[in-house]
Amino acid sequence: MFKYVMRRILQMIPVFLGVTLILFVLRIPGLLPGDPIQLIVGEKTLTPALRAQIEEKNHLNEPAYVQYGYYVSNLLQGDLGESYQKSRSVTSILADKFPNTIRLAVAAILVEIVVGLLAGIISAVKQYSFWDVLVTLSTSILVSVPVFWLGMLLQMLFGIKLKQWTGGALFLPITGMGTPPDIAHLILPAVTLASVSTAYVARIMRSQMLEALGQDYIRTAMAKGLTERAVVFKHALKNAMIPVVTFIGIDLGALMGGAILTESVFSWPGVGREIYLAVLQRDWPVVMGGVVIVVLIVMVVNLLVDISYALLDPRIRYGGAAE
Amino acid sequence: MALLEVSDLKTQFTTRDGVVRAVDGVSFALEEGHTLAIVGESGSGKSVTALSIMRLIPDPPGKIAAGKVVLRGESVLDMSDADVRAMRGDRIAMIFQDPMTSLNPVFRVGFQIGEALRIHKGMSRKEADARAVEMLDLVGIPNAPHRAKDYPHQFSGGMRQRAMIAMALACDPDILIADEPTTALDVTIQAQILELMIELQQRKGTAIIMITHDLGVVADMADDVMVMYAGKQVEYGSADAVFYSPQHPYTWGLLDSLPRHDIDEKGTLLPIEGQPPSLIDVPPGCAFHPRCPYAQAVCRETCPELREIEPGHMAACHFAGTDSLVRGRVATAEGEVR
Repeated sequence: MFKYVMRRILQMIPVFLGVTLILFVLRIPGLLPGDPIQLIVGEKTLTPALRAQIEEKNHLNEPAYVQYGYYVSNLLQGDLGESYQKSRSVTSILADKFPNTIRLAVAAILVEIVVGLLAGIISAVKQYSFWDVLVTLSTSILVSVPVFWLGMLLQMLFGIKLKQWTGGALFLPITGMGTPPDIAHLILPAVTLASVSTAYVARIMRSQMLEALGQDYIRTAMAKGLTERAVVFKHALKNAMIPVVTFIGIDLGALMGGAILTESVFSWPGVGREIYLAVLQRDWPVVMGGVVIVVLIVMVVNLLVDISYALLDPRIRYGGAAE
Repeated sequence: MALLEVSDLKTQFTTRDGVVRAVDGVSFALEEGHTLAIVGESGSGKSVTALSIMRLIPDPPGKIAAGKVVLRGESVLDMSDADVRAMRGDRIAMIFQDPMTSLNPVFRVGFQIGEALRIHKGMSRKEADARAVEMLDLVGIPNAPHRAKDYPHQFSGGMRQRAMIAMALACDPDILIADEPTTALDVTIQAQILELMIELQQRKGTAIIMITHDLGVVADMADDVMVMYAGKQVEYGSADAVFYSPQHPYTWGLLDSLPRHDIDEKGTLLPIEGQPPSLIDVPPGCAFHPRCPYAQAVCRETCPELREIEPGHMAACHFAGTDSLVRGRVATAEGEVR
């Protein structure tokens, strides 16, 4: 197990370097529109002398591979650079936004687990019933609805049409950056963010549960005299859960990294929205820093998910001598 | 009164193509401590008979349409769901064909054996674990205290079937239904498992319903034999009667296709020609007539009733017990053995 984890961690290194390289190439002047140096200067006129001075300070006059060297070495020291726009370190900007993203991600994952799992189990146990049809149909719709559009529809419904009941609370975009968003503000973004994944969780759960319920060991459990509930929730569920846990785990990684669409639609002051705003303003250090953090989180969470397999499924014992 | 009496049991499955009469009017009795073998090809209704007794037929699409299953005077088909659950695993236990898939891969073997004890005997987790270890020891698993903590994938096929037997016998059931318990095992392991079952039966006095298509198994164990074909009982009687004076041509076919080492004769194995019929579209008359070398006009038209040929020995063939059929068989056998 230890060997397996070490190998996986070593495998992360090339992946991580690859990501930084791609990000770095994208930043080469002329490849994408917009002039970052103009952004740094802001309203002031950009004289060639000033430009040279800024290039000097940011090592922009050096050859690309030297710049990349500077970048990676800073990165390894935990320095993500400084925002062109805000004259603040990227680390502190992202650290500000991160708790909000986590709050949203955790809420969305809870929705995913509770609603997705239950819907999947009900629909498998009561196959072809009204509830099964309802779940199958609504999950088909949910996976095809774009998240940002669903978000806007929800805002319109709860924030505008039903304003007298909700007081608009479920809609209000958060204006005061830094103030902790309250639960009411969390509901709609969380539901929106969770929508597609919840539908997937329900579908995976349904198919896995149906498969598990058709296995011989279920008949064995029935023949022992167990109640149907014990058979479903103990014998079938533990087997069916394995792929579902994987999906939720990987999804958690993606959500932790910030959901760009949902955060933008709801003006949720998280990492995703910060990346989105930085892209619009060609604030490359923030974009790169944000993406690097997201990639790191996704990689670490994926590793944790793989390790958790071994806990759920005794047949998997990584790296050890097989029986 | 017999321990278990099954009369005129009919189990059907509704499918898109029609109604499958998987079990069509089966009757038998099982005495305390005896072994009944149910023999037949795949799809003849053996397993469905067993699952019907346990009331484990998935409904829908399955349904026990008629008949009686009486366990010590109590009608199983009229029991409440709770009573049926109380019966399963405690009074009637079952082991299945494929030990590789019949154990749940994510629970420890000891836990799975102890599960029935906790439900039926009200044992604590600790007591059940201890008893599970005893049972594993009883079925011949070496180092039982340690192996009880293993997962099924750490057991070999034979050990898993031993574990299944341990699980089934944990609550000391009156009846053990074994659905082809050796089919999925290596031949050397098959004999061990059968010996184990015989030994445990002698020690505990458990009655066994042995479902098999292997007549060798039947000869070793059975007191009574029931031969099934296309959901119907075609022959039923004591093992001696069925082996030494088989009455139904299908039973002959089964016996002829069994390799024998006890007679020094250069006989060839004679397979039964053709395929078992589809249960949706059972041939009219005797279901076996398309494959029967002795079939006459009457076989194509009238379905033979199960009737008593000699005391305690029943067969469902128009010609059972008559000379004509026996003469025909001898003639055919001489012609084919050469």
